[in-house]
Amino acid sequence: MTASTYKALYLHLPFCVRRCAYCDFDTEAVASDDPQMSVYVEQLILELRQASRNGQLSDISTIYIGGGTPSYLGHKLLISLVYAISTSLQLHPDSEFTVEANPESLAEPMVKDLYALGVNRLSLGVQSFNDQELQILGRSHTAQRAKDAITIAANRFENLSLDLICAIPGQSLASWQESLQRAVSCGPTHISVYPLTVEEGTPLASAVLSGQLVVPDEDIQAEMMLAAADYLTSQGFARYEVASYAQPGCQCQHNIAYWTGQSYLGLGRGAAGMLNLADGSRQRFLGGQLVEQLSAREAIAEDLMLGMRMSAGVAAPADKQALQVLDSLVADGLARLNAGRYQPTESGWLLGNELFSRIWNTLRNNAGNRGCCDIL
Amino acid sequence: MTDPTHIRNFSIIAHIDHGKSTLADRVLELTHTISDRDMVEQVLDSMDIERERGITIKSQAVRVMYDAADSKCYQFNLIDTPGHVDFTYEVSRSLAACEGAVLVVDSTQGVEAQTVANALMAMNANLEIIPLINKIDLPAADVERVRTEIEEGLAIPADEAILASAKTGVGVQELLEAIVQRIPAPSGQPEAPLSALIFDSYFDAYRGVVALIRIVDGQIEPGMRIRFMATDITAQVEEVGVRRPANTPVEALGVGEVGYLITGLKDPTDVKVGDTVTLAKGGVAQPLPGYREVKPMVFTGIFPLDGDQYEPLRDALDKMALNDPALVYEPETSHALGFGFRVGFLGLLHMEVVKERLEREFSLDLLATAPSVEYHVYLTNGEQLSIHSPQEMPDASAIERIEEPYLTATVLIPPDYVGAVMELSVARRGSFQTMQYLSTTTVEMKWQIPLAELIMDYFDQLKSRTKGYASLDYEFSEYQPAKLVKLDILLSGKPVDALSFIVHSDKAYQMGNTLAIKLKEIIPRQLFEVPIQAAVGGRVLARTTVKARRKDVLAKCYGGDITRKRKLLEKQKAGKKRMKSIGNVEVPQEAFMAILKVDE
Repeated sequence: MTASTYKALYLHLPFCVRRCAYCDFDTEAVASDDPQMSVYVEQLILELRQASRNGQLSDISTIYIGGGTPSYLGHKLLISLVYAISTSLQLHPDSEFTVEANPESLAEPMVKDLYALGVNRLSLGVQSFNDQELQILGRSHTAQRAKDAITIAANRFENLSLDLICAIPGQSLASWQESLQRAVSCGPTHISVYPLTVEEGTPLASAVLSGQLVVPDEDIQAEMMLAAADYLTSQGFARYEVASYAQPGCQCQHNIAYWTGQSYLGLGRGAAGMLNLADGSRQRFLGGQLVEQLSAREAIAEDLMLGMRMSAGVAAPADKQALQVLDSLVADGLARLNAGRYQPTESGWLLGNELFSRIWNTLRNNAGNRGCCDIL
Repeated sequence: MTDPTHIRNFSIIAHIDHGKSTLADRVLELTHTISDRDMVEQVLDSMDIERERGITIKSQAVRVMYDAADSKCYQFNLIDTPGHVDFTYEVSRSLAACEGAVLVVDSTQGVEAQTVANALMAMNANLEIIPLINKIDLPAADVERVRTEIEEGLAIPADEAILASAKTGVGVQELLEAIVQRIPAPSGQPEAPLSALIFDSYFDAYRGVVALIRIVDGQIEPGMRIRFMATDITAQVEEVGVRRPANTPVEALGVGEVGYLITGLKDPTDVKVGDTVTLAKGGVAQPLPGYREVKPMVFTGIFPLDGDQYEPLRDALDKMALNDPALVYEPETSHALGFGFRVGFLGLLHMEVVKERLEREFSLDLLATAPSVEYHVYLTNGEQLSIHSPQEMPDASAIERIEEPYLTATVLIPPDYVGAVMELSVARRGSFQTMQYLSTTTVEMKWQIPLAELIMDYFDQLKSRTKGYASLDYEFSEYQPAKLVKLDILLSGKPVDALSFIVHSDKAYQMGNTLAIKLKEIIPRQLFEVPIQAAVGGRVLARTTVKARRKDVLAKCYGGDITRKRKLLEKQKAGKKRMKSIGNVEVPQEAFMAILKVDE
């Protein structure tokens, strides 16, 4: 047996007009005409060709161009990259091809050309429909600009995803509900909901530490997450993953690949990649570098953990200890057993750290138990 | 051996941070005892913790040779004393080895409680005291005020006080001359049988116990059979020598000299500070005065966070006790914390230093419970118990009365803070004894106060209520009866033995209430609601609740970077390791010390 083939392709574009106050990802603010962007794209296209020649792209069924802000590359660079992709691999017309964009840099010609080249899904970083909250987040657009960008995108794209953030300092439950409603009224097929995390070393963290900004407390945050689940479900969105809601048939296939243990190739500076090897072990890459080598045992633990992000959950594992952990989660109300599958409960999702860490931290260290588990 | 007329034995005494160690450094430099190359700041404080905290824990004795203005060469034995109230006994023994003392007073701070305590000890030991007003290079120096305080407060003539800055070296030469001129030479009978005072000891892995001694009468040399009088142990002298500051063997030590003694004895408890060394045959009949057994005053439970570290902890305590005979310990089992030790200390600082050294030098993760004192419990059946931990407290129905240790506490403050000290000390069940003005700017108050109250952050409170001006010294006074009860803390309905403590019954309600609130702040929200109750004998006095966790989820898993996400989960788990699981409740370490942090 050889290593499994890559099913998903991720390309990372780390450039932004400015860094958001909460961002601690591998991104940087550059001038819109900074020559390093074209140098970077050129290099990325080379890597893409290389991967294509090596046969690494032959089984790809989803593509995701993420950032940073891919739309910040500008029309010419972004289109040249997408064009290179379209000539590097055979993509089935139904295969998902997503490009991330921010409202301030999405323009009509870009939308049209992306669509023409086979991109069939846009993911817009809207985050909030409240200008004050957008300002606190350090976003470079207003609520109105976001609305306009969605209208532009909707000219071509049926499959449109919006990102929203809750637990923003100063945000009330009412204002969060308003953002949710305005998002739904724009007619997207997919909505991602994330609670804001204050990451060390970010401008947001300094503002919170100095007391300038106050993060809503844990109880309000829980209310916000619950409000999103209630409202979006009532509007025909199904929650298929802890942070993802979709209209029927519009689940993000690329993200599902992450949660279901599929190999994915990451190209670009901050891109993560994963490759399952024939013996069940697993390699993880960052920016093309091997950063982790998981044993088969650890890969199974990881799959169980990731599987519990999905509402579908995981099939009952054969492994005794894994079963014990899942049963303990059921006992604590973090999971439920439904038709032979372990699925996360609402409180399991709200307490995701507990849920995921119990699975991972308990199972990863216990070598010797070989039982193979069917995870989905 | 040196002619005693050319010997000067002295200590440097001071309140903490008044510059004692820096002064000692300058003396070593000026007498060329240590080359500049080897000069580490504060040479005499050799332990890491001592240097970091700027305190001296063990006594040290260094011989330096000084060419005086009279063209003669003098042997100085500088005996550096521990600088903290916990080590008063060690200080008293070090002083007993001297004829004189340099009393260092910080010109910016003036006379403080340990200045007074140390000066009194030096006077009791009949030492010639040379006052030295230090840090005169600082802009805030107020030499005249300090002079007044020394004269009026300590009744020591200060007109001949030396004005110095140990930092810059000003006045140090003058001090060396004053030591020659003013401190008497030792007197003793060279022909009399050996009589030497042990003023400190330490353990050397290769040589066994090394005693630091001062020869009072006679002489000591290798090959002699000697006897330790208090422990009645005889041994043969393997080596004697002096510390310069490295150990340097000599042929003999004679009258007035200070040095070290190695006998090959391996058990530190055989060689006690304060004991007298004499000849095994034909020795003196009477030991030198002042010896007493050092008794621990403060007790705490020390538990390894990881149960696997119990054995390493025991080994570490065994090793530490070699150098610290004041450290006593016995195994203790806690329902909540598992296997550990109940450890006795001279005081709170001693406790902190030992815990820190155990963690640092032996790489242990330790959890300490709130400190306790030794209670004398008289049972209705006539029995008497000494208990060191709340868990040992018998059922209230079996108790006739309980007695607790009281201290005489001496507090020095500017007059403005008399009211604040009154308020705090009365709240701590103190009874006022005397008050005296040492000068117009310094008042000395004496209190009788239970030790158990004093170890509950009394000193921190005193400092904060007097804007840092107060200084404190204390000594054991007596046992007194008190109405004491055991306060239990229950988490999720189950009593947690390691959180219980003994409190005066009048304060039980208030303490229970404050502690329940404090614990609610300290214990993080868990998967389930955690009720916290404070109870005395089954009667619940206070109740708070830690709400169940509602939301705890990491943000976006960006671009499939699962490695990063997992690392965060692992980090979180490592954070939890610093907590102790009691039943299904994760309790942070600081919860066990919460009682000390109860603000009033």
